[in-house]
Amino acid sequence: MHLGAKSDAGKKYSANRGNEIWESFAKVVEICEQKEINLLLISGDLFHRQPLLRELKEVDYLFAKLTKTKVVFIAGNHDYVKWNSYYRTFRWSKNVFPLLSDRLSCIEFPEYDTAVYGFSYYQREITERKYAKAEAWKKQKTEILLAHGGDEKHIPINRNELISLGYNYIALGHIHKPITIEKDKIVYAGALEPIDKNDVGEHGYIEGQIKNGIVTTRFVPFAVREYVHMCLEIDQTVTNMQLKEIIKTSIEKRGIKNIYKIILTGFRYADIEFDVSNIDPFGNILEITDKTKPAYRFEELKEKNKDNLLGKYIESMENCELDSLEYMALYEGVSALLETKKG
Amino acid sequence: MKLLEAIIKNFGKFSGKSWEFTEGINVIYGENESGKTTLYTFIKSMLFGLERGRGRASLNDEFSQYEPWENPNFYAGILRFSCGDRNFRLERNFDKYSKSVNLICEDDGEELSVEKGDLQVLLEGQTQDTFENTVSIGQLKVKTDQSLASRLQDYATNYYRTGDGEIHLEEALKSLNNKKKEIEKQFKEELIKVDRKREEIALESSYVWRDIHKIEQKLEAIDEEIKVKELQEKKKEEKPKWRVHPVEVFGILVCLVAIFVFIPRPWNYLIVIVGGLAEGIYIWNRMKEGGQKVEDIENENAIRKLRWERNHIFEELKEKQVQHSNLEEQLEELQEENEEHKDWKRKKEAIDLAATKLVEVSKYMQKSLGQVLNEKTSEIINQITGGKYKRLFVEDNLRISLLTEEKKIPLERVSRGTIEQIYFALRMASVEIMSEEDLPVILDETFAFYDEKRLQYTLKWLSENKKQVLLFTCQKREEELLEKMGIPYTHYECR
Repeated sequence: MHLGAKSDAGKKYSANRGNEIWESFAKVVEICEQKEINLLLISGDLFHRQPLLRELKEVDYLFAKLTKTKVVFIAGNHDYVKWNSYYRTFRWSKNVFPLLSDRLSCIEFPEYDTAVYGFSYYQREITERKYAKAEAWKKQKTEILLAHGGDEKHIPINRNELISLGYNYIALGHIHKPITIEKDKIVYAGALEPIDKNDVGEHGYIEGQIKNGIVTTRFVPFAVREYVHMCLEIDQTVTNMQLKEIIKTSIEKRGIKNIYKIILTGFRYADIEFDVSNIDPFGNILEITDKTKPAYRFEELKEKNKDNLLGKYIESMENCELDSLEYMALYEGVSALLETKKG
Repeated sequence: MKLLEAIIKNFGKFSGKSWEFTEGINVIYGENESGKTTLYTFIKSMLFGLERGRGRASLNDEFSQYEPWENPNFYAGILRFSCGDRNFRLERNFDKYSKSVNLICEDDGEELSVEKGDLQVLLEGQTQDTFENTVSIGQLKVKTDQSLASRLQDYATNYYRTGDGEIHLEEALKSLNNKKKEIEKQFKEELIKVDRKREEIALESSYVWRDIHKIEQKLEAIDEEIKVKELQEKKKEEKPKWRVHPVEVFGILVCLVAIFVFIPRPWNYLIVIVGGLAEGIYIWNRMKEGGQKVEDIENENAIRKLRWERNHIFEELKEKQVQHSNLEEQLEELQEENEEHKDWKRKKEAIDLAATKLVEVSKYMQKSLGQVLNEKTSEIINQITGGKYKRLFVEDNLRISLLTEEKKIPLERVSRGTIEQIYFALRMASVEIMSEEDLPVILDETFAFYDEKRLQYTLKWLSENKKQVLLFTCQKREEELLEKMGIPYTHYECR
């Protein structure tokens, strides 16, 4: 969820982005009420940082309004249970069941024949493979694990290992992108709203159904905005003004509500320099990276200049890998030579 | 390679004209604006094609410049030339609708493919650039603010360093350096931006810290107050535990009994009753007074209120502390290097690498090329100056001077004619170094500044060393001298 995150979202949306995340969260809670959802599971990182008391009050207020839904959550690496964390003392509403121990614990819901397991982070990083030992205790018919992490520094996991633990469903958190590790069994829901400019793609939540021990899940796109890394292929005919238009129409096509990081690729006309500093027609561009290369045909240039510095220079560098430092140097050198060439 | 015939179907001012070229010296005479340059451009365009520029650039490019004056949709010609022992016929249409190129070997009728690079092979990889920079020689082009000597020096320096008089190592390095500076500037600006953000957060953090401090003080004050109040309470409590002490009551009772026993009747009745009543009143009074002292209740209430306030403030303190630690965390995250900075660093590294590599390659070229070029150029200069200048002398810093029999003359001290001759010699030497086959030499008003003697030597050198020379001129001088020296040549007039 990452409530309290203040992410960079371009000129227009940055100021209000924090609120948007809150509102999105409130909307999900509302949906739980409307659809009469039994369990709302949050696999860590409910907050982006240590929650303030007033923030916990806000969240609990929202949870308390739920009449049919029980909420279970754990603390992740962002909102880990610090020594002075309010998580330790806060009194939640009756329908909220935090699993805030650092050891595996379990909450049973006999009315649904379901038990939910999980533990919380007590420090920012955990490299121990704690989920390898987190087997289900077989207390109820349906058993669910809330797990958080999955990378090197945050409890590394392994697919087979998780499968062998014996849960009907494992709700994974930490990675912001929705990923299915094992269909209907082990799923990263991803962040409800993208938090960081690199959280590209759709974001939302997972809606699941358990019938006679059989789990079916589906991803529901929900985020207000999406971070889009948009690659635009530029060719030699494109001028600065044209580039502006291309960017504008591409954003219109993809949706002006989204937040963009634009990467220009391809080959530009060798003499043109793109000025990308002022292009931001809708106030939703985070950055524009110009990765275009001047349209040099190295083979041809080398052939043409085989007896002079230019040709020899290309020859001395031509065996380098694409996108290596040498390749960049090749471009820089050639363009410097051509720019300063007389006549 | 040898040019045999240029047939202009429609090109610039010419239409339906042809020139046949022979071996040896071809003098193409024409007055100003008679079309000599058109013929030269035609030959060049036939060999290398003539592309229409894009966009604005097309307004003044050669394509538009030589678009036929009449009937511009017919824009074509033929060039015949020989290579090795075989004759070829190259036909081109330049106009955009019927653009085409055909290359046929005239000996066996074999059709060759220009697209597949057959023409390139025949031209030995010569390109328009190299053609213009070596084979065809005009006068040294000088920018208005530059002296001829320094221009030649420039040209030669470039040539020695880069193998091309027009490629300028110093300038290229300067341009790389500027680019690096530009990147550094952007990088710095970005860092400033991050710094500003960091400062903002640090400021906020310091405010919160100050708040924490204030709250802590408040908390201490309240604690102090509570302590004082509690102490008062305790003192009060320490006083008599009993509101009316039992010993006191007992003592009075004993007294009364004693009075009753020792004092004779009936007085004892009276005194005991009065004493008993007095004690009753005393005890009742004490009980009433000590039971609920208003003062006490107030004190207790104050303590309760203070405790409540203390809790409240403590809560506030904790909230602030969490806020503070969150801000500090944010600061730490900002400290970490972000990806774009890495990109910038990489770009800078690439530029540095390019610069070092360029210098390296140039040094290598200077070493391998310099010596040969020196020898060849000296040889030509020796001949076309009639032995006056023996050698071209190139110092380590590439400064050029000329050596006569007895002394060294710096470039600045020789005449315009001589400078042109050195330029000519350099160009001819570089052609020789570069191409194995004898290419035709195209001279465009090259000899305007030559005196008669040197011109004679030069023409002689050309006729002895070059298979085919195309000499464009607006003067009759060259022809007269050729005739005088008995060197065979072919004459054309451009009109």
